[in-house]
Amino acid sequence: MADYDRRNGGPRGGYNNNRKRHDDEHDRRPQRRRYEEPLHLKVRKQLLGVAESPLKRTDEEISSIAKLVVDNYDDEGIRRQFFDLSLQIVVEQPFKIPFVAAILIVINPQKPEVAQEILTRAAKAIQEYLEAGHWREVKLVLRFLACLQGLLEEDGVFPLLEELFSRAVDLQTASSEDSLGLELVKIILLTIPYAMASSATGFEERALALLDKTDIIASTPHALEALVNPYPGNDEGDAQEPQSIINLLQKQLQGEAGQSWKLACIPRPWNVRKEEDTTDTAVASKKHALPEINIPSPVAPGPRPMLPEIYFSVYADQDIETVPSTSDVASSILRDSLVDTINILDCNRNATAKFLIDLDCYFSAETFVKRATQFDKLRNVEEGRSTWKPEDVAVDAVFSQLLQLPMAEHKLVYYHSVLTEACKIAPAAIAPSLGRAIRWLYKNVDGMDLELVYRFMDWFSHHLSNFGFTWKWTEWVDDVQLPLIHPKKAFMMGALEKEIRLSFAARIRGTLPEPYQPLISEAKEKDTPDFKYSSDRKHSILVGLEPTKLISKEMPYSEPAKEILRLLRAKAPDTDLQSPLSTIEETAESLGVTDPLVPSTDAYVTAICFLGSKSLSHVLSQIERCKDRLLSIGAKSELARRQIITSVMDYWHEKPGIGVNVVDKLLNYTILTPISVVLWALSDQLGKGEGLVLSHVFEMVSSTVTKVTNRVRQIVVARNQPGLPGDQVAILDETLSKERDEMGKLFAVIEDGLVGVAGGSVDDMAESADQDLKGEAMLRGWGGRWLRVFRRKMAVEEAWVQETMSFVVQVVDASGLEIAVEQNGNGEAVGDGAGEEMSEDEALAGIL
Amino acid sequence: MQTTVDRLDKPSAYYLGRNKKRKYGRDRDDDDVGRQRTPEEPEDPLKDAATLYVGNLSFYTTEEQIHELFAKCGEIKRLVMGLDRFHKTPCGFCFVEYYNHQDALDCMKYIGGTKLDERIIRTDLDPGFQEGRQYGRGKSGGQVRDEYRDEYDPGRGGYGRAIAEERQKEEDEYGKGR
Repeated sequence: MADYDRRNGGPRGGYNNNRKRHDDEHDRRPQRRRYEEPLHLKVRKQLLGVAESPLKRTDEEISSIAKLVVDNYDDEGIRRQFFDLSLQIVVEQPFKIPFVAAILIVINPQKPEVAQEILTRAAKAIQEYLEAGHWREVKLVLRFLACLQGLLEEDGVFPLLEELFSRAVDLQTASSEDSLGLELVKIILLTIPYAMASSATGFEERALALLDKTDIIASTPHALEALVNPYPGNDEGDAQEPQSIINLLQKQLQGEAGQSWKLACIPRPWNVRKEEDTTDTAVASKKHALPEINIPSPVAPGPRPMLPEIYFSVYADQDIETVPSTSDVASSILRDSLVDTINILDCNRNATAKFLIDLDCYFSAETFVKRATQFDKLRNVEEGRSTWKPEDVAVDAVFSQLLQLPMAEHKLVYYHSVLTEACKIAPAAIAPSLGRAIRWLYKNVDGMDLELVYRFMDWFSHHLSNFGFTWKWTEWVDDVQLPLIHPKKAFMMGALEKEIRLSFAARIRGTLPEPYQPLISEAKEKDTPDFKYSSDRKHSILVGLEPTKLISKEMPYSEPAKEILRLLRAKAPDTDLQSPLSTIEETAESLGVTDPLVPSTDAYVTAICFLGSKSLSHVLSQIERCKDRLLSIGAKSELARRQIITSVMDYWHEKPGIGVNVVDKLLNYTILTPISVVLWALSDQLGKGEGLVLSHVFEMVSSTVTKVTNRVRQIVVARNQPGLPGDQVAILDETLSKERDEMGKLFAVIEDGLVGVAGGSVDDMAESADQDLKGEAMLRGWGGRWLRVFRRKMAVEEAWVQETMSFVVQVVDASGLEIAVEQNGNGEAVGDGAGEEMSEDEALAGIL
Repeated sequence: MQTTVDRLDKPSAYYLGRNKKRKYGRDRDDDDVGRQRTPEEPEDPLKDAATLYVGNLSFYTTEEQIHELFAKCGEIKRLVMGLDRFHKTPCGFCFVEYYNHQDALDCMKYIGGTKLDERIIRTDLDPGFQEGRQYGRGKSGGQVRDEYRDEYDPGRGGYGRAIAEERQKEEDEYGKGR
């Protein structure tokens, strides 16, 4: 609907020359009458396109729009379009804020009522955002006002910033774990530079005073920073000190104050005009009072990061600076605008990608080197000029979101798609930047937070799948020799596996240089893995693709197992299966197997997998048919329940992705329980910790945990629906406390399994202590890395529940507690919630 | 309110066009955007749609590959492969059903128009799968678009079936290589 993409197409854009059928009509088409665009559409188009094109002069665009509005101010359509759209651009396309402000500054001497009206509307908007706790929008409208500082009477936005600061102080004194106060301070700090770069002068003292005040809050290290450190390191060191965004910002601004607020990267579109005609504009410009804005007290909570935000860059350690260093305020200003642009425009990744490519249009001219300048050419840049590559700065911002802990604002695949589109629009500029990012991430994979390693892996394989699976694997050829437990080798194996899952083994093998060939075995190309009880299996044992020890274990059961397969294939009634299953159980008993249900389950589940090997739908319909018996297995024996997982994963051990999927479906059927999956991965299959190295094991555990935490979240959301009758709230509260218990137990089981590996106290490990010290240290490292991920997850989930529940309580408080107690009968719960919150804070801190 | 950029999670022109034809017959092509809905008219069938039609798949793309990509937008409830009506083999489309409406919208935004198995795939919101819709509606059993396609597409069975048939006939009549 919007005008954004229309430019590319044109009326004949989609015409396909290959099709001949319209050719004869072609010439006879009457010429279209010249179409005069209605003025309000012209304003819309120009305003939307402001500063977008590197080919147009921005100052001319600005004066042209200003002229259009001034000349046609009587036209109500134009007025409405201009006012509505200006403010909409402020919150939807933050790069353009200074340019929209500049239009108003240009208009003001001739039509002061325009600025007056905009200010009234902006104040109304910010009031609404404040009350709803929409902090990003608050920040953006404040930025707009700060850019208009030169039009404002007296101190302009500063009193507002100071009031915001006093709210932050209230919040910070109330709780040391407060995150809302930090968000407010961040907003203040990100507004100051725009006010200082505005056409207003003489606010240096005021800004410095405010900076002095924010210092205490912004510079105190946050207790939970370590929890979200993207590079916690491993046993061999490699840890990097996390740099909190707010802390950096404070220091950078103080530095900037010392250099008389140069703020070089911020564009000053309002300045151009002044130089051109000094006659009347600057002097005659009328100033306006900022309409009253009431910051609620206490301020409304709203979406915001619960844990401290860490500044992340993949281009930090290069010998030439391609992105601003963290000591330069430009790093924060550019990053903040980019991140907002990326996260706001998730509804159209093409638009986002275009903004990223056009980044240099929206900042002052000297900020960047020319687009697509090659890295090597940066050495030739004159001393004192910028070496910042716009595409590096843009790509860096996307990675900061993709690799944001504890979670990104949108689904991760959104950030994948933005990088894909950017790469499609400007391959020559973006692809080399991505290459350097990949190299840096890979180089530092050893010390990276494990969750981020898997996000990187997931993106990497998905990205390659969009670009013909081409990557210079030769660069990493030396790492092929590394042991499987080495983080780099594990990354490599995981990434290849993911590529195969999006494609197929032979295709991926074809993209790899010779030394990598053994990493993708022949067996991966086989569509239907053998039924291990059949005689065919001998062949695969001979070529050494299966662990030989299995042979003695399964052979005695092969006849009844084949019978089970035959019966299942013939869709025989379930009762018929009892006989061969019993035969296995009896044999097992005679062989002294502790739980005879285990081998019979193995045969049963393996047969199901074999029959369902054609596709996911096939295995699902097979499971559906066998549901009752499968459900009864777990009820009888926990060991047999876990055998179901072993059998599935064993059958699919060449294509573990399929196995993980089947396990996931079995969880949905409640044939498996979350605890059984976690015990399988972190106890049965753990070994000395080698199990932790496999990407699909992490995937299995982490998706199981997510299933459980999502359920808890769903219950909380359902419980918090407004107007829910009291008895239903009570039922949901009960369910919630039960599910939270379960969640706690699950995390405890994970903790138990991992602490052993991380501390090196797993039985097997102690025995071989002197044999492989290096390997053991690596495995301990894996244990520690897993532990961090799941401890953080637990902390985040618990905190989320607390926060969401206490938010409801606050709302109830505000609207009158008595009524709420009458309606819900949960007066007690209100008290309990507050009490727990304290202990929760402590729990969060305790994790470190 | 209209956003300043187009949204990618809107139903396609194909879907809208089809509905229009059904409602008004072939000749009427009036733009009904902004028209008030009368009470008898059913609600927007896509309001809570959690299903997507996925097109331009290769005939060789497997359920597992589709699952791998589409699960990036949320848990998949059901995946129905589009089949050739006569041969019961994949014919290049499928339906992906999520548990949540939002996941389907996100899929439109983040996955539609990207590659799977090295082909740009197309996604469209769908009111929901009904039995029978998994079969191609083309004359020879596949999708209609594969009937008369005159470009060679190795991922979708070469030339369109009707075109291929014609070529074969010509070859038979005039001899190979003509």
